[in-house]
Parts: sequence; C-alpha cells; structure tokens
Amino acid sequence: MSTTTETEIPLRQRVAENPQPALIWAAVGAVLIGVELGAILQVVGAVAGVVVNLLPGDPGASAVQSLQAAFDAIPTLVSRDVIPNQGYWNGTGYENTFLGLSPAVAWAIRVAFVYAYAFAVLAWAWNGYKRFRRHYRRVDWTPRDDVVNRFRGHSWGKFGLIIVITFVVMAVFAPALGPTTMERNILQPYDYEVSYWSEDTQSVETVLVGEANLGSGSQGAGDENVAPMTYDDFGRFHPFGTATNGKDLFTQVVFGARISLTIAVVAMGIAGLIGLGLAMITAYYKGLADLATVLVSDSIQALPVIMVLILMLVIFQNTWVRELYDGAVLIILIFSIVYWPFIWRSIRGPALQVSEQDWIDAAKSFGQTPTQVMRKHMAPYVFSYMLIYASLSLGGIIISVAGLSYLGLGITAPTPEWGRLIANGQQYVASPSWHISLVPGLLITLVVTGLNAFGDGIRDAIDPQADTGDEAAATGGGA
Amino acid sequence: MSTTSTEEEQTAKASGDTLLEVNDLKTYYEDGGLLGSNPVKAVDGVSFDIQRGETLGLVGESGCGKSTLGRTLMRLEEATAGEVKLNGTDITTLSGSDLKQFRKDVQMVFQDPDSSLNERMTVGEIVREPLDVHDWKTPSERRERVRELLETVGLQEQHYYRYPHQFSGGQRQRIGIARALALEPEFIILDEPVSALDVSVQAKILNLLEDLQNEFGLTYLFIAHDLAVVRHICDRVAVMYLGNMMEIGPADEMFDQPANPYTHALLSSIPEPDPTIERDRITLRGTPPSPRDPPAGCPFSTRCPVKIRPAAYRDMDPELWERIEVFREVLRERSRADPSLSDRVRKLLGRESHRAGMDEIIPELFGELDVPSDVMTHIREAADYAENDDEDAARSYLREEFGSVCDHERPDQLSVGNRGRLSLCHRHEAEYEEPATVFETLVQ
Ligand code: SF4
Repeated sequence: MSTTTETEIPLRQRVAENPQPALIWAAVGAVLIGVELGAILQVVGAVAGVVVNLLPGDPGASAVQSLQAAFDAIPTLVSRDVIPNQGYWNGTGYENTFLGLSPAVAWAIRVAFVYAYAFAVLAWAWNGYKRFRRHYRRVDWTPRDDVVNRFRGHSWGKFGLIIVITFVVMAVFAPALGPTTMERNILQPYDYEVSYWSEDTQSVETVLVGEANLGSGSQGAGDENVAPMTYDDFGRFHPFGTATNGKDLFTQVVFGARISLTIAVVAMGIAGLIGLGLAMITAYYKGLADLATVLVSDSIQALPVIMVLILMLVIFQNTWVRELYDGAVLIILIFSIVYWPFIWRSIRGPALQVSEQDWIDAAKSFGQTPTQVMRKHMAPYVFSYMLIYASLSLGGIIISVAGLSYLGLGITAPTPEWGRLIANGQQYVASPSWHISLVPGLLITLVVTGLNAFGDGIRDAIDPQADTGDEAAATGGGA
Repeated sequence: MSTTSTEEEQTAKASGDTLLEVNDLKTYYEDGGLLGSNPVKAVDGVSFDIQRGETLGLVGESGCGKSTLGRTLMRLEEATAGEVKLNGTDITTLSGSDLKQFRKDVQMVFQDPDSSLNERMTVGEIVREPLDVHDWKTPSERRERVRELLETVGLQEQHYYRYPHQFSGGQRQRIGIARALALEPEFIILDEPVSALDVSVQAKILNLLEDLQNEFGLTYLFIAHDLAVVRHICDRVAVMYLGNMMEIGPADEMFDQPANPYTHALLSSIPEPDPTIERDRITLRGTPPSPRDPPAGCPFSTRCPVKIRPAAYRDMDPELWERIEVFREVLRERSRADPSLSDRVRKLLGRESHRAGMDEIIPELFGELDVPSDVMTHIREAADYAENDDEDAARSYLREEFGSVCDHERPDQLSVGNRGRLSLCHRHEAEYEEPATVFETLVQ
C-alpha cells in the first residue's frame, strides 16, 4: 500500500513538495496586496464606522475614528496622492499636478492605473486558480471545471462579466477615480478652497469651492454649461461635465455606483439566503411546508413592488430607520422582503428535482441528518440556479432604486444616486446640458445589460442543454 | 391446511436464525390531492421472514408494491400498520439513537447508478459519508477503510479522487455497493441493482454480490422484475401482486412448479431460452386494478385465468365465462375513470351521458355467443344499472351473481409442498382443484 499515502498528503505538504508555482504566485500577490494594504485597512475602518453608526449610542465611536485616522495615514499606490490631478495653471505651467501634466491627463492616467491594478489583481486570482488546478489539486477533473470551461467559451457572458467588473471596480475605487472628492466638492464645498488662474487678473486666485460650483453649473444655456471632458472657469476638469448645481458629475456617478451596488448586492444576498433556505426546506419536507411558503410568497408577489416601496418609504419618512445609511438600510430591507419570493419561486423547481434523486434517499438511509442532506446533497445543485436569477434580479433592483430616487424617495440627498441625477437633469435633456441625465441613464442601461449577459452566461455554462428561450428568467429582473 | 408456516420454518425460527420477520405489514399513501379519497394501498398486509445469510428475491410487475416494501423495511417510508422485526426488535417505531443504530445495520443499493451517487462529490467522499455520519473511528482510518472498500468491490484506490461522471454504469454501481458495505451491515436491500446495466455487466455485478455475501455473511433482499436474474442468485423467492405476497418459497421449486396462478402467469411470460421447447404462454387479460381500490376477495381475482367459478356456472361455456369476466372488467375500468367535466354537466342537465354505451358494449361482447336466457337477464340487469351511471351497483350485482369465493374472501397463505412454500390462493384448499391441474386443462 505504498501508493495510499500519496493520496492522503494534505495540501500544505503538496505545496511543500513543489513550492515553485505557489511561491511565485504568493510573491506576486504580496506585492499587489502590499501596495494597497492601507486601502484595505481603510475599508475595514469604514465598515467598522458603519457598524458603530448603526448601533444605538455609537459605542466606541472615538476609538473607531482614531483607527480610521491611522489607517488613512498609510500610503497606498492606487490613490489620489500618488497621481494628483487637482492642480492649477500658474501662467506658465501646472502646479501640484502629476509630473506637471494637465489635470485632464493626470486624471486619465489615474483612472487607467486604477483599472490596470484591478484587472491585475483579478488576473492574479485567476492565475492562482489555474496553478492550483495544474499543480496541487488532487482531482484531475471536477464537474465544475466543465462549467468554468463552458463559461470561458461564452462571449456574451464574458462581455457581461467585464461590464460587471468595470462597474464593481468603479464602486470599490470610487474615491480614487473621481477628479475631486466627495467631501470637497459635494458634501462640504464651503470648507475648501480652490486655486485657479484668472484670465482677468492674470494671476492665481483663490475661491471657495462652493462659490466656484455656483459659477460652473450646467443649466442648458451656452455660457451656463460645463460639458463632458471640459474645464470649467476655475480650471477644474470635469470628465462627465457638471450637474445643474455645478458639482462634478463624474464624482457623483462613481459614488452613486457605490450605493447602488451596495443596496443591490446586500438586498439580493439576504433575499437569496432566505430563498435558498426556504427552497431547501420546502423541497425536502414538501407538503405543508411547501404549501405555506406558496401562500406567503404568492401574497408577497401579488403586491406591486414599486407601490410597496413607495408606501413603506413614505410611512417611514421621518423615522430613525429612514436615516440609517442615507435610507439605504430601509431600502435593502424592503427589497429583501419583496424579492425572496422571486428567488424561491425560480429555484423551487430545481430544488424539487434534486430532492427526487436517489442519492437523497441513500443519504437518509444511512442516517444523514436533514440539514446535512440539504447542505451537501441539495444546495450545491440549486446554488448555481440561484446565481442566475440573482444576477438577473440585481439589474431590477438597481433600476428600482434609481426609480425611487428619481421620484425623490430613495437615497437622501446629498448622497449621490443615479436616479436623482437623471431627475436633476431631466429638464435640460434637449439643451446643451443633456449630459446630466444621459450619462447616468446610459450607465444604468449598460450595467443592467451586463448583469443580464452575465446571468445568461452562467445559465448556459451550468446547463448547456437548457432552453435558451427561457422568458421567465429573462424578465425576472424587470420588476 | 390454513396454517401460515410449516414445521420446518418453525424449527428455523426456534434456532434463532431468523434475521428479519415481517408481520402483516401495510404501507398506505394518503397522497393524491383530494382529501378523503382512498389511500393507495401499496403494501397491503404482507408477512414473511428472511433467514440469516440467505437471499430472498422479491419479484412482481412494476407498481406491485415491491419497491415500497423495500423502502418501508429501510424506514424510508413509514409503515401504516404491522411490524418489522430485525433481530427481534420492531423497527417501525424506532427513533433517536436506536434508529441511528438501525441505519447502520441495514443498507440499500439503488437501481439507478446515475441517480444514486451525488455527482458533486468524489468517490472517496461518497463512500466515506456513512462513516462520517456515524463517527466511525478516526478520519484517517476512515480513508483507509474507503480504500479497502474500493478494492473489495473491484475498483482501484486511486479512484478515490475521481467523480462519478468519470465511471461507467457498472463501476458506479460498484461505488454504490462500496457505500452500502461501509458500515458493515448485516442486511442489504438490493433494489433492482442490475436492471439499469448492460447485460454483459449484469453478470459481473451479480457475481460480486454473491462473493460479498459469502465473504461477509450478508443477508440480501433482492428486488427485481427480471425472473432470470432472481433464479440465478436467490435462495427463496417471493412474488408480489397488488400489495400482496402471492407466493413465497424456495427458488428452484417455485420456478419448476409454480403453485400460485399468478406465479404461473408471471413465469410463462419469461421467454424460453431454448426456442425448440414449446411452452404454452398464458397471457393475462387487462391490467392490474388500482391499488386505491383493490378487489375485496383475492387480489388476483380480476385477472386470474383459473378463477374458481360459482357452483351454478361451473359447466358454462368457457368462452362465455370469459366474456362475463371481461364485462366486469369493463365496468371496473369505467367506475375507476373519473367522469369528465362535460359528462358531469350532461348529468346535471339530465341528458344522456357519453359513457353510457351499454347498447354497444353488450352486443359487442355477447353478440355472437349463445347466451342462456337466465344469464342474459342478469347481464341486462347490470347493464341497466350502468346505463344510469351507477357502475358500482352494476358491479356488485354481477359480483353477487357470478362471483365465487375468489371474489368474496381473501385467501390465506396456504402451505404447498413440504419445503415451506406458501401460496395465496383458495385453490390449495382441499375442495378445489389445484391451480396447476386447471392450467393443464386450460392450455390443452
Ligand atoms: S384465489 Fe381464486 S382468483 Fe385468486 S389466484 Fe386463486 S384461483 Fe385465482
């Protein structure tokens, strides 16, 4: 039995016996993560801050604040400080910008750098998976390999994935991507100053950001418009132009991506957990459990989603729940409650199907517990189906949140939100300031298309024989 | 003669060799939606026992309740009534740790090797799972045991890290067998273990099962619908029909000289391996009755070719008798079929129902025969009931007139021969001719 030991070696030892691929990978990873360690810790600090904020009485708020300050001080590679773009023209050249380049070029370099970094990290992770597969995995083949390979051959799905990644990177790196910061340009414009080259006086002058904003709004008329990819009168570069009140549109768009994504992902996560858990229980026990869930989910599904959202938001208008995270917590809760029946409905069929398999009976026959049967023998088969419907429904939530904000109900101002931007620029759609509504509108369309493409890709990867004309799945996200 | 066990069996029991004892076991399903509808009587009062180390074959057409019986013995289905004693303990009421211990002692091999193995787990994980569930020794000893088991069933230990997809049907069935062996059970239920496999592979799996039985002293319940397979591997055979055990006895004897009329019919459906031997086929008329509404007397009475006739009609033309039985079958089918919505509407409006086609059925069945007038009166009477959509009245009228002990009384399991054979048929009672004798006259 000399060969028996071979299959029993733990992963650590398998790596130790052939360390080179793992070492190279780990070294690259250390560099990639090391340069952003500060940012990762800042995220931890921010999350801690949110948690503290949610708790009654804000316990330990000061500790968290000092922690955040410490984290903020750690330099990171992908940050505004490394490639600054907020400089000014001093008559002969640019000051305080990256290598003395123009703010537009400096900003473009930073954006390119952020995306290059993000894709490098993803490529590194993918490479790690491949190295594991090639050098260390005990099995030569798993059923999941086929799924991965099929997805890799699915161009439409890959297109969707790239859109989704672009969107996620936009949300994650929002502070580094904007030509200016939230704090400076949107939240506290009267606490900051901006230096600029005044043509009138032929010298560098200083003005409060708030006042500069007042002078650079986009309100349709030719001289009251800052179009995309132009500078305003104060030498500030606006990749997407400005909003009606003169605030930078790009900054608002990237931070809007953040809040949309948070709401959609968290709400879908909660709804997915409820839906998956219930699907397991109803498929395993059937009968009464199933009937009760059908009744509850039908009642919820019979409600018009948008109406319920509007009602709830109006009811909770002036309560503390509405204040949490600019209203996002309430929206997340409502979406979770309204969306789990869709998820449950969509995966009920697959769950029932897998519950009829003999391996479930086999597991019962040697005494496996119901929870383990659900977890090991049923959930893995249903999870991928849930992923399809979740990715399709994410788009629906993003649209709904934008819709609510458009109606003035969703995320409270001044936190930027795409729907509010669209509403903000609506009256200028036919004027030179068309960009205010159009840019966020196009982005929503693109993101939702991307999510749908991604969902299609997963579906085809999981189940190559499945009927691709599955209308129910395609419309599931349009609620 | 109506004892339910022979002396031989009693001595076997006394010597403590009985592993499993089943007494009047019933498994009914209440499903089917409509509240208050009859339950499906999948297993309807079955008694038998299995000796330690033997293989009992359980055969019957699909839907006869053999799989449900197997699943009830496994506690995958709850028994409605009766008891199942494993080593003297009734297992139908076990719970908690006793149930868990029972789950160790009895295992099952499933029919479909595609569906019985979780495709997302490696072979090693699959075979190991029972050991994990019962916390068998240490994890490394479990892995060692799994590798041994893989070799025992004719696989290689490097298959540990493969997935079921990478194996053929026969190999997958070996994995299922290895899983069933993992906890060293005493008793294994084989639910049609080879029927999904290629013929060439079947023999290999059967040989493996026999080897394992010898090596580990296993007791098998071998569920099958293929009688040839059963003959090859089983010591004793039990034949099921409509939730009842029609006959049970030593395999060789039963195949050579079937006692029960149903066994006769079933055996004559196997193609004779030697085509030169002329064998008289008995083709059964109709389909088995619904297990929701089994016949009151003998379960086989609606189709039995050698059914006992009431004294008054014993000399009737066999052709005519056959037609009367067919007529009763037609009425049974009609009462079984739910009236369609349009039929109900017609009935509510007082119009004639489509189903009342008696004036077509009667000439069709009896037209070209010479029917004695008294018999015809009874037939007309029943047809009138049916005409008024009262099939139940028509059926009970005919049962009263043409029914015999087969329709009225459920037969006992009667002893046949001296090797512990039991058969569920009135014809083994002294006053009637034996089924075999009647069959001979039939095929002449
Ligand atoms: S009891 Fe009557 S109907 Fe039943 S098998 Fe015997 S002869 Fe046939």
